[in-house]
Amino acid sequence: MFPLTMAKVGEKGQIKRISGRDEVKVHLAELGFVVNNEVTIVNRMGDNLIVQVHDSRIAIDSTLAKRIFI
Amino acid sequence: MIIGLAGNPNSGKTTLFNDLTGSSQYTGNWPGVTVEKKDGKLKGHPDVTIQDLPGIYSLSPYTLEEVVSRQYLVHEQPDAIINIVDGTNIERNLYLTTQLLELGLPTLIAINMVDVLEKTGVTIDTKKLEKELGCKVMTISALKGKGTKEAAKEAIRLAKAHEVGKRPEIFSGDLLKAIQEIEGKLDGDMKRWFAIKLFERDNKIIQDNNLNPDLKTVVEPIINKIEDEEDDDAESIITSARYEYITNLTRQCVVASKKQTKSLSDKIDSIVTNRYLALPIFAIIIFIMYYISVTTVGTWMTDWTNDVLFGEIVPNALTALCSTLGVADWMQHLLIDGVVGGVGTVLGFVPQILLIFVFLSILEDTGYMARIAFIMDRLFRKFGLSGKSFIPILIGSGCGVPGIMAARTIEDEADRRMTIMLCTFIPCAAKTEIIAMISSVFFHGSAWIATSMYFLSLAVIVLSGIALKKTRFFAGESAPFVMELPAYHLPQAKTVLMRVLERGKHFIVKAGTIIFAVSVITWFLMSYTPTLQYIDPESAAVSKSILRYIGEFIAPIFAPLGFGNWEGGVSVLIALSAKELAASTVVVLAGKAGVATLFTTMGAFSYMILNLFNPPCIAAMGTIWREMGSRFWAIFAISYQLVLGYVLSFITYQLGSFLFYGASLGIGQIVAIGLVLGIIYMVVRPGYREPVGELVNA
Repeated sequence: MFPLTMAKVGEKGQIKRISGRDEVKVHLAELGFVVNNEVTIVNRMGDNLIVQVHDSRIAIDSTLAKRIFI
Repeated sequence: MIIGLAGNPNSGKTTLFNDLTGSSQYTGNWPGVTVEKKDGKLKGHPDVTIQDLPGIYSLSPYTLEEVVSRQYLVHEQPDAIINIVDGTNIERNLYLTTQLLELGLPTLIAINMVDVLEKTGVTIDTKKLEKELGCKVMTISALKGKGTKEAAKEAIRLAKAHEVGKRPEIFSGDLLKAIQEIEGKLDGDMKRWFAIKLFERDNKIIQDNNLNPDLKTVVEPIINKIEDEEDDDAESIITSARYEYITNLTRQCVVASKKQTKSLSDKIDSIVTNRYLALPIFAIIIFIMYYISVTTVGTWMTDWTNDVLFGEIVPNALTALCSTLGVADWMQHLLIDGVVGGVGTVLGFVPQILLIFVFLSILEDTGYMARIAFIMDRLFRKFGLSGKSFIPILIGSGCGVPGIMAARTIEDEADRRMTIMLCTFIPCAAKTEIIAMISSVFFHGSAWIATSMYFLSLAVIVLSGIALKKTRFFAGESAPFVMELPAYHLPQAKTVLMRVLERGKHFIVKAGTIIFAVSVITWFLMSYTPTLQYIDPESAAVSKSILRYIGEFIAPIFAPLGFGNWEGGVSVLIALSAKELAASTVVVLAGKAGVATLFTTMGAFSYMILNLFNPPCIAAMGTIWREMGSRFWAIFAISYQLVLGYVLSFITYQLGSFLFYGASLGIGQIVAIGLVLGIIYMVVRPGYREPVGELVNA
């Protein structure tokens, strides 16, 4: 299990855990970031990532990417 | 009859809304908040209002949009809901659907983008979906206008019959029992909805709906039991249950073809968000946009409007009309010099501004704008701003008013306020007119002046961001950046045009109201002496006008900035109402002697700086006031701009004349150096931290 920030471009994985207990976690869930969903790293700029989850493409920054484990 | 239109952002909701209502739209704000409210009459059904809800991902209270939408759905209860679902992203979209169905209102699900689905070989079994979700499901293509009328008709039928479907059971096992137990403690409508919200510990729901606050303590043990069982927090448990249900549902109802090739969006994204190419591509796109809308096509159109339309055609026609009607001389002057002169100058900008907005709307509609926010985020975060702050700045380069309003998409309040304060520093179309005048008269039309002003304004935004972030008001981390990037698609003419009109409207309204009034007043003050004798404002006699006395009264304020003459003072004052008027006022006041006689080169430069960083215009100040939603913040923002404009102009003039024009080192220079040091201190000092309670030794 490792955070999304450590994944390579093109890498695919199932979400194992999302840390934290705040409003942002809810928002992540609305966007499809929930345990067991599959994510793909589409692109990255520094530690900011573009990921594919379900059929949507989401841009997230490193602070959030660190909290999502695959 | 009211039909609410609900759906995710980027699901095609706006396109559907435009298709259903045509031009009969009314835009306003939801009460008390700066979230846009749009409604319109359904085409061919004057008795049916389509209420467009903000694009939302769920009915939880994470964003203002979500709060507004659920308040509306729960309290005002539209007669029916059309839930637009993006068929190409059905799972995520159905997440909202499961929540809407809990409200117990007649609901129709419109699956959008079926044409795209057909192409990619995905089929959706709508009959099965209908059976499972217990409500009517139809397919549409909002972009092509297919199936939209039928969907609207069906929604009307549902509303008339008040046909509420059978709600699907999303939960099971102990969770279901817990929810039902909470339902049992409630009375009234929408029991299921309230029960889930109570389970999620959504405290806002208790406040907003006058529920008995004791309920919270009553349901707490029920929630705790489930949380312990599942070893997760209540909100996540509900979310997971919803997704689990949806995954099962789509497995039964959605059949995807086997081949999943890399989509076009993927290909485009791998280039435009590439870590090396992203910034150069962005720079080229912006350059092309400005080259066309400001330098070439825009200027031709503006020159024609100014020189031909409002320079010859309208004045000549008006003169002819006046002489036929025998209108008094002073009235003729007022109409032609005052009104046509003032309002005409402003309307001359309209083509340029509309062109900028056309480009910006295309960038938005294609999906590239969201990528810009992402690309800029890394850079902006270093200055304490979010990438989302960049879009208001970009739009602000056309006109500050829609720029300020574009800050609405920023969730974090502190970030949003700061963006509102700073986004108008970027030269808008009107300010570029001042730059153009100063650089052509004093700097041989050097293009470097305009370019350096853009960089200077960006530097001021960035340094202001850093300095403000260190104050108590804006301290704290920016909200984390998370944003959906819509799939790329070709811009749609209708959507682009509607957005251009919407944004351009403010500008034209401004021309018709504020600028009209200011032009008339200025004309009067210029054309009459204090004893109310008419003088020709275009002759030397203008120095006997009322305006001159006003100018002399305020001129000392501007003396330290290098232009202590009455003409400069008056034009700064007038420019506060609209920057478009600064250049034209100076030109008129200078008369035949020419602008070069009014300022020294350094004074002219300082005059330009003052106007660039002062508040842009009355319309923008009004917008700041409205968008801040608080008197304190509005005054704070406008004062900041006034003070900063003055300070920067002061420093420029005092140090500039010392360094480049051999002025001696005097008090002015020393104060300027002090101010520079003060600014450096504000930028580099350690930031404010929340005070932490200190341990006291007993």
